[in-house]
Amino acid sequence: MASVRRSRSESLFIRYLVLGAWALFCLAPVLWFLSIGLRPRTEIITPQPIYFPTFSLDAWHMIWEDWPMAKYLRNSVLAIIGSVVIDLVLAIPAAYSLSRYEYRGRDDIGFYILSTRMMAPAIVAIPIFFLFRNMGLLDTIWALMLVYAAINMSVVTWIVRSYMLDIPKELEDAARTDGASDLRILWEIIIPAILPGIITAAVIAMIFAINEFLFTLLIASTPDAYTMSVALANFTGGSDGVIYNAIALVAFIAFVPVFVVVVAIQKHLSRGLTMGAIKG
Amino acid sequence: MARIELEGVEKRWGAVVGVRDIDLDIADQELVVFLGPSGCGKTTTMRMIAGLEEPTEGEIRMDGELMNGVDARDRDVAMVFQGYALYPNMTIFENIRFPLRMRGVPKAEQTRLVHQAAGMVELGEHLDRKPGVLSGGQRQRAALARAIVRNPSCFLMDEPLSNLDAKLRQAMRVQIKHLQRELKTTTVYVTHDQIEAMTLADRIVIMERGAIQQIGTPDEIYANPSNAFVAGFIGSPPMNLIEGRVSDGMFTAPGIAVAANGIEGDRDLTLGVRPEDCHIGPSDTHLDGAVFAIEPTGDLTYLTIKAGEDLVEVKADRGYRADLDAPEHVAFNLDRLYFFDPESGIRVR
Repeated sequence: MASVRRSRSESLFIRYLVLGAWALFCLAPVLWFLSIGLRPRTEIITPQPIYFPTFSLDAWHMIWEDWPMAKYLRNSVLAIIGSVVIDLVLAIPAAYSLSRYEYRGRDDIGFYILSTRMMAPAIVAIPIFFLFRNMGLLDTIWALMLVYAAINMSVVTWIVRSYMLDIPKELEDAARTDGASDLRILWEIIIPAILPGIITAAVIAMIFAINEFLFTLLIASTPDAYTMSVALANFTGGSDGVIYNAIALVAFIAFVPVFVVVVAIQKHLSRGLTMGAIKG
Repeated sequence: MARIELEGVEKRWGAVVGVRDIDLDIADQELVVFLGPSGCGKTTTMRMIAGLEEPTEGEIRMDGELMNGVDARDRDVAMVFQGYALYPNMTIFENIRFPLRMRGVPKAEQTRLVHQAAGMVELGEHLDRKPGVLSGGQRQRAALARAIVRNPSCFLMDEPLSNLDAKLRQAMRVQIKHLQRELKTTTVYVTHDQIEAMTLADRIVIMERGAIQQIGTPDEIYANPSNAFVAGFIGSPPMNLIEGRVSDGMFTAPGIAVAANGIEGDRDLTLGVRPEDCHIGPSDTHLDGAVFAIEPTGDLTYLTIKAGEDLVEVKADRGYRADLDAPEHVAFNLDRLYFFDPESGIRVR
């Protein structure tokens, strides 16, 4: 009996050891760039590693005082929130239609929406550039919103659709015999029932949008439309050389809100990421 | 209140036929039960009455008004579902109020009607709770309250009790029957449980493979099944169906010999006899076989006798006991024998 207990506690210890090592492996880069962001430039590139660097807020002051970081942050937030709103407004009815109605070509339309995620973004980069130039939207947050929304539309649609498929058809039938229209059913029954799925889809879209670089670089040519991801690139050129501590700190600032949100909804997120794995 | 008529109603999905040629007239205030095994078309027929499915052919009328093409929300029907179908994000109060809200009933009236309906199903104390925290029985009562709250002209109940345990099912059955009589609302009830059908129905519609097999009161269907399917479906345990041959006015099968109730000729037939019409008797009776199994239930004992390759179920007294394989003799109630054509299953009289 005692040996069984000991082997159980040993197995538990090994599990925690492996998980701890994995957590350290994942978090080490984050801690590392936080440490770089909070040390003076002179202690970043050195012949010998510095294990206990001097604490310095040089980079912090620099990014807020010498650079329009608040503007970049605002641009990021507006473009991302706007894109997520566009995604949800369009994807929820689309997902409802794909999951509930029978019509010719439904599966083809579903696949077409998904297939937009399959091509390499660079393929459409030049057409998109000309499209926005002709529309007069280059270097605006509106263009970023539209691009992010377009990129994430397929993912959001499919995540929401997978949650909708889990809603028993009986609920809709009940609402219909109770006198509700399709729009009422969607608004009052379906959306509240799949709220965790909608939040998951929104967060995934948000993460993809924060990390988007190629199209942002293409569309934004002045600080008016720069986002955090493009702002990082600003610290790599010019007479000051590569400003590693500023890059690290901006990267950390961009990372924290996403990290907090992901931790808060991780239970739903894992389901969203495996959507389609069990039920298609 | 409504009279519901179905005329030549069919439902097909491509080559698959769900329901074929249904003719049915449901009287105002009547409680009609659709009974049949899974996939027999009973739920599809109900969904067509509700407007959740459109018939491929035929006409559905309510109080003489053609309902084909009329949306479910515009038919004055209320439906109760097997899985309750309560809206999980709403409290029980909001659930019951939902159909009133959809129909634009004034707010003060909504509250009064919700409390009235909840009171009828004894759910008044749980109105502020969400469905998730209620028991199965409470949820089903909430679903009932949501159906009765707006006083529809017709109730449609799709296996509403099949998710409940046996005891609760019995209690809810009584409650549904009482409510239906009290409200005098035409009700169509779907079930695969023949006890539910027998105890609830004014008339039973027995269905198989999309077609109606028989329509009648519970007594009529029990006493005069029109074919072997109905005979085997109604009754618990079901009627014994024994294949054999009639010649010279006698039905014979291995271990069985009984007068064929005036059926002449020389032909293969299926004999039907209910377990309660079989009586343990002295030797030289209609069936001679060996005890195969004994199942005491408390108030009586189910005895299974093996005669040839057939297993014949008999309802015996509560104290009946015998050894396995012991010889046993059974006399049939000669007034309650049924004969069916073995090919078509149709009753032969």
